[in-house]
Amino acid sequence: MRRWGALAIVAALIAIGPSGAGAQAPLIKVGVPGPLQLAVGQGILYGLQLAAGEINAAGGILGRKLTVVPEDEAENPEIGIAAIRKLIESNKVDVLIGGQTSGVTLAQLPVISRGKIVYLGVGAASPLITDQVRKDYANFKYIFRVTPVNSTYLGFALADFVDEFAKTELKATKIAIVGENLVWVQGVLPAMERRLAEKQGVQVVYKELFDVRTTDFSPMFAKARAAGAQFVVPLMSHASSDVVVKAYASLKVPVPWGGIDVKQQEADACEKLGGASVGEVVLFGSPPLKVAVTPKSIPFLEKYTDRFKRAPVYTSFGAYDAMYIYKAAVEKAQTLDPEKVIPFLEKTDYVGASAHVVFDEAHDVRYGPGYAVETMVQWQDGCKRALIWPRSLATGKYVPLAWMR
Amino acid sequence: MVDVLILGAINSAVYAMLALGFTLIFGVGRVVNLAHGSFYAMGVYIAYTLVVVLGLPLIVGTTAAVLAVAGIGLAMDRVLIRPLRHSVLAVLIITVVFALFVEQVIFAFYGYTSRNIPSFTTNTLTVLGVTVAGQRAIAFAAGVIALSLVWLLVYRTRFGSAILAVSQDREAATYLGIDVDHVSRTVMVLSAALAAMAGVLVAPVLVVSPQMWVLPLIKSFAVVILGGLGSIPGSLLASVLLGYSETAVSRFVSSTLTELIPLVLILVTLLVRPSGLLGRRIEL
Repeated sequence: MRRWGALAIVAALIAIGPSGAGAQAPLIKVGVPGPLQLAVGQGILYGLQLAAGEINAAGGILGRKLTVVPEDEAENPEIGIAAIRKLIESNKVDVLIGGQTSGVTLAQLPVISRGKIVYLGVGAASPLITDQVRKDYANFKYIFRVTPVNSTYLGFALADFVDEFAKTELKATKIAIVGENLVWVQGVLPAMERRLAEKQGVQVVYKELFDVRTTDFSPMFAKARAAGAQFVVPLMSHASSDVVVKAYASLKVPVPWGGIDVKQQEADACEKLGGASVGEVVLFGSPPLKVAVTPKSIPFLEKYTDRFKRAPVYTSFGAYDAMYIYKAAVEKAQTLDPEKVIPFLEKTDYVGASAHVVFDEAHDVRYGPGYAVETMVQWQDGCKRALIWPRSLATGKYVPLAWMR
Repeated sequence: MVDVLILGAINSAVYAMLALGFTLIFGVGRVVNLAHGSFYAMGVYIAYTLVVVLGLPLIVGTTAAVLAVAGIGLAMDRVLIRPLRHSVLAVLIITVVFALFVEQVIFAFYGYTSRNIPSFTTNTLTVLGVTVAGQRAIAFAAGVIALSLVWLLVYRTRFGSAILAVSQDREAATYLGIDVDHVSRTVMVLSAALAAMAGVLVAPVLVVSPQMWVLPLIKSFAVVILGGLGSIPGSLLASVLLGYSETAVSRFVSSTLTELIPLVLILVTLLVRPSGLLGRRIEL
């Protein structure tokens, strides 16, 4: 019986053959390595699904439809390498769009390079990733970063925020910087301190890089207070952020704070922590609010929220833009051959949902006026969010926490 | 300096809750239970399921979680440990396999994404000018009460005498008519409940993740090795030393080094005084 069934399927396939599936152009496979169980990983997938759906509806790329092939890298370098290998060797994907943890992406680079496949990073911030392009172009030219701006630029953005907001509006001239002892922070920190030194008037009175497994942050906040800090800048991207945020709220730390906190970018982060995030000001490359960073920002936000019933995270913006950037380059090259697509990717000048995307010589997205911008969004009462910096894009005003009013 | 005294005391109480059960099991059954951290993690995940997923009140969910883990401890003793008790190595292996099994089960059902359970209180407490999170204060108070009750049980009751007798000489205790299996089983239940209690008390200020069993196990290990395997007063003393040294290093040096302390304590104790501060030399 089973044999007859198999024969029937084969016969049907032969019959469909020339006029059916066989006549269709092969799919373009978009490999998606990312921490798919986390909001930032799901954000990549959803952003790509949205873009791929739109592109497919409009006829695809060079007449070929897109299909998205996700692979979980689980914030673990070993799993990340296995994910890239599987995508390249087994799934035979045509392009890779994803990434979030810098340590994982750095571990994956040699595999991507050997696979000679275009990789558009949308999550990891370490400048060491794109430094590889600068140092060894022949082997690492496949690597591009669409979002976020690299951690050096993130450091500049934070210094600008401290100067223009903490110093000017809150009159805070003494700050504490507390961050995870991880690769990306080691990029942000010196850049931020350098920029602050240039700006003058703000003194870093306490600095602490903590182990992400730390369970008690009471001593850290006690030290920050004892040092006289008037503003705390957190640099966090992992689960430990929740522990720090809960410690801050449960201790009712009487010092305002704002910085990089990827976990608290998630739409439901504040509710999950029972409102502990309220008061924190969080950096967003692409704010999940109705703010026209570019003409495409609000339409993307609405489409995304409408389809997935949740607000996008920064990787969603990046993935969506990366798909269109790849499409434009392939259409100009008239081929998927990475060697021919890369020169067109390098010439990218694309106004996306995240920013006006232009790559520098290291294939890193440019930062500054006219290019990618960074914004600061505060969690406010009722777990609502308001963009408070830069003023030109502000949707609300900074609200101090009840115990500091 | 005052903040170190207060914050260190809180950490010490939590470590003591974790380590006391670990040391009791070893003392009574010569069982090095590498699944001890799993009791902690299971307590937290069961509480998460009951409170966050099913919406039960926090006190109900956490109490039920502690009782459930006590039941798991009982089952573990009956099914896994008792049949293998004759071999220290076999018990060691079965407990580590159980720990990894629990981690994978948690991973399969909940994934690796971190989760949160609500606090008993969001209030703060000021002690000698030091601000203490209300949840940590509750953990401290509950820990001190639980430890006092265990102390009374062991040193002031007939059953406690049986525990001490079995700890000193299992065979002699049998000749004295003590139901050694009953004592071992009860101590396992007590140990599991204490670890789960430590978990549900500190989980609201931490994050819940499948690997959360590892650190408590390392800290329990550090405490019982420093205090002396099987020594209850030694474990309490070592908990205080670990709690205070971690807080002091975090306060005066760097929190990056905090997690190194238990490992350093294990290494130094094994090299300098293998029997621990208040332990005695025994043959396994």
